[in-house]
Amino acid sequence: MAPHIRAPGDPQTYPWQENLTMTATTGATPSAHPERPGRSDGVCGEFTVITKIKPGHADALREDLAMLASGSADAKSRAALHQIGTLHDARHVIFDNDTRFMFASVFDGTWDTYIDDFAQTVIGANFDKVFSHSEGFPGVADPGVKDWFVAHQAPAGVFVSSYPDLTVQQIWKDQRVEEAFEAVLDTAEFRAALDNPANAELLATPAFQKLLEEASA
Amino acid sequence: MNATASSSAAGVGVEIDDVQSGALRPRPVPYEGKFVFLRVDDRHAGRALLRRLLPVTAGGLPGVDRSQDAWVALAFTYQGLEALGVPQESLDSFPRAFREGMAARAELIGDVGESAPAHWEAPFGTGDIHIALSALSSDTAQLDKELERARVAYEDTPGVQVIWQQEVHQLPTGRTTFGFRDGISHPNIEGVGLPGSNPQEAPIKAGEFILGYPDETGNLPPMPSPDVLGRNGTYAAVRKVHTNVAAWRRYLRANSSGAEEEALLAAKMVGRWPSGAPLTLAPEHDDPELAADPHRINNFLYRENDDRGYRCPAGAHIRRTNPRDSTIIGDARMHRLIRRGTTYGPPLPEGVLEDDGADRGLVGVFLGAHLERQFEFIKAEWVNDGNFIGYPGEKDPVAGHHGGTGSVTIPEKPVRRRLQNLPSFVVTRGGEYCFVPGLRALRWLAELED
Repeated sequence: MAPHIRAPGDPQTYPWQENLTMTATTGATPSAHPERPGRSDGVCGEFTVITKIKPGHADALREDLAMLASGSADAKSRAALHQIGTLHDARHVIFDNDTRFMFASVFDGTWDTYIDDFAQTVIGANFDKVFSHSEGFPGVADPGVKDWFVAHQAPAGVFVSSYPDLTVQQIWKDQRVEEAFEAVLDTAEFRAALDNPANAELLATPAFQKLLEEASA
Repeated sequence: MNATASSSAAGVGVEIDDVQSGALRPRPVPYEGKFVFLRVDDRHAGRALLRRLLPVTAGGLPGVDRSQDAWVALAFTYQGLEALGVPQESLDSFPRAFREGMAARAELIGDVGESAPAHWEAPFGTGDIHIALSALSSDTAQLDKELERARVAYEDTPGVQVIWQQEVHQLPTGRTTFGFRDGISHPNIEGVGLPGSNPQEAPIKAGEFILGYPDETGNLPPMPSPDVLGRNGTYAAVRKVHTNVAAWRRYLRANSSGAEEEALLAAKMVGRWPSGAPLTLAPEHDDPELAADPHRINNFLYRENDDRGYRCPAGAHIRRTNPRDSTIIGDARMHRLIRRGTTYGPPLPEGVLEDDGADRGLVGVFLGAHLERQFEFIKAEWVNDGNFIGYPGEKDPVAGHHGGTGSVTIPEKPVRRRLQNLPSFVVTRGGEYCFVPGLRALRWLAELED
């Protein structure tokens, strides 16, 4: 399917709303998904929640965040991020004199899939821990958790991506292809193949010329 | 002093006669010079020394009279200003990078490994360097005369010690130890009355180079207090850099198939040919005739004729450190510098590929009103990373610290060339951040009381 591109800041719709044969990878049936807040740009969307920190919990929250950033926990989280493969970036911010907490992220696909996926991994446990310091958090396994997130979501006024056509999966693939491509360019065999008249026809094709354009700098 | 220069320049009113000549005047060609570092053990002695050095210290632009073509300049480290008894309130008003000093910023600017402060030549980085005196001239007799006047001043002042000296001179070839002509580029500074070396460069605001005037952002550069101390001053990053000429030659030899290719590879890394002719204007062969023409040697931009770097690679030394109009992340005009490189030590005889153990290299002085935005930024982002040109992690092939694992990409059709396993060709032997006050500020320092 062609990338789904809208101007930055347009109201969000999801592919499944246009094409009911498209299904989410996990979780509830697509038709059950309500309209969700948050803006999108191309293939990715933004998710920002702002919550109230329970009185006296700011230091405990800070410790939990420090723990998440530490070596082994970080390695586990990164493995989970690879498994999920849809999160571009995320940040946790304590602000307003330790009274409020923001989680902001950019992800591919639909809101519901995003939340469902996270709940299944170590990220879900992390969410549980971090948001337990927020007032009213029902727990990530609670059936009402999505409603709670929606109620605390602060949609962006403007959201733009520098690569609206690229999902996290595509970015990873592009990186692998680029590394492999550069490695080929470094081989003497490739240079020799370019000089070989037998390959002249292939080299002259517009498709290969495009590749060579990238190969020259 | 040349009293007319300040009023002649486009109404901007730069008090050019109050700015030390060593700050703005391009390095003479040919040149001889000397750096002398002094330690002030007693603030009254330090001030007495300044009173004696004041008449020796030159301001303003060169006159028509060649006999004036020699000048002494004075610069101070943070510890130097402290040793002279500058009030704490004033010391605190200097920017952080200057207060911390170059050694403390070594990681940031890429002085790591064998270039780390732990390996620096004494007294660099020890806090003992208080005053840096430099003298440059194209005439040996003039230089000796000026240096003699300065020597009498500091040798007659007990309580002040000479702790380091370095003679610099142009090699007979007129080139650096690597074999390339340098000292070609000089920025076009608004209101100063000196022509820039690139006729295509729009004048850069005086505040990028001299304190007390608006800079490119439209604001005054942060200036130390009191006003009399800051105005018409600037900052200088002074560095002694050893050049490993044998390693440079061996690397070029090992990565090319003949003399012609070797010369081209070296030019691709530098961005100019040995004569100084830029690759952008002379992509195939050196062009000494072009290089001899002061109107042509620096008259070029990158984007229009060579956006992708087929002539001069984006990673070449001169293109990285002065990207002009290149397609880069950011705005090159915010990171201009006055560069003054001088050579020390004997040349490695032509054709020699083995190191002879001699110490050779350059003493570089990099001047500007913003240490962090200019010198430090250029080192951290442009010399020691390649993100801004789309080659993340790739460093300046000549000036970067590579440690044997560097790479450099040379655009070429049909397929780019990428050299691997670059060793470091330069090693930092030491460096200091200095404040270069205006002449009135020097007098203020000399007349401090208590």
